[in-house]
Amino acid sequence: MRKKISKTKRRLGVIVNYLSLIIVVILFYIVKHEGWHNLMITGMFAALLLTVITFITVHLKTGLWKFVHTKIEQLDEREIQVTHESLRYSYSILSVILLVIIFIMSLAATGNDVLGPVLPTSLIYLAHTLPSSVIAWTENEISHG
Amino acid sequence: MKSRKIYNRISVLREERGISRKELAEKIGVNFQTVGYLEREEYNPSLDLAFRICEYFQLPIELIFSTEPLKPLSQELLEQKYRKG
Repeated sequence: MRKKISKTKRRLGVIVNYLSLIIVVILFYIVKHEGWHNLMITGMFAALLLTVITFITVHLKTGLWKFVHTKIEQLDEREIQVTHESLRYSYSILSVILLVIIFIMSLAATGNDVLGPVLPTSLIYLAHTLPSSVIAWTENEISHG
Repeated sequence: MKSRKIYNRISVLREERGISRKELAEKIGVNFQTVGYLEREEYNPSLDLAFRICEYFQLPIELIFSTEPLKPLSQELLEQKYRKG
């Protein structure tokens, strides 16, 4: 991992990353229902930009992205343990989030709703970034490569 | 089941031999950060890794690892000597 970032900053980055993603999703559905407003669209793109920036800072620059995508043969026993733990937590977190979303959607469903691409895309992003976010959140020291 | 904390003398032995964490990591086949975790006793090594460490330092396992907090190595050796008579 190339850039050392303190645990507190990493945690802050993870929070900002997912909060900005939630804002993108919410604004997208507001725009979809209420119509196109310049302020909403600007806000949506600003939040999207923040998601990209925090993704680069927390996942790419620290090398965590590379770490969670490294072949298992190239990791030592502690790193394998760390990645397994992160996958275990990610699976649980994602399951809870999906259940909550399904519950909310079933309550809000009107029968003629179209899901749109943003929520599924965000969930795929979430599923793919959760393991490295869990490592960014829990590990005291991160280094790879 | 929560595993017990394993105490070790890796940092003392490494400094005594004058090698860096990176050099030791290369010798025992782990990432240098893992050596840091081992030295701070934040990670319990597998039996295989523990033996690799012992082979590298050429010391018996009980002199490097323990489930009890370790005494200074000099004191330990002195006590062993007295026990033998």
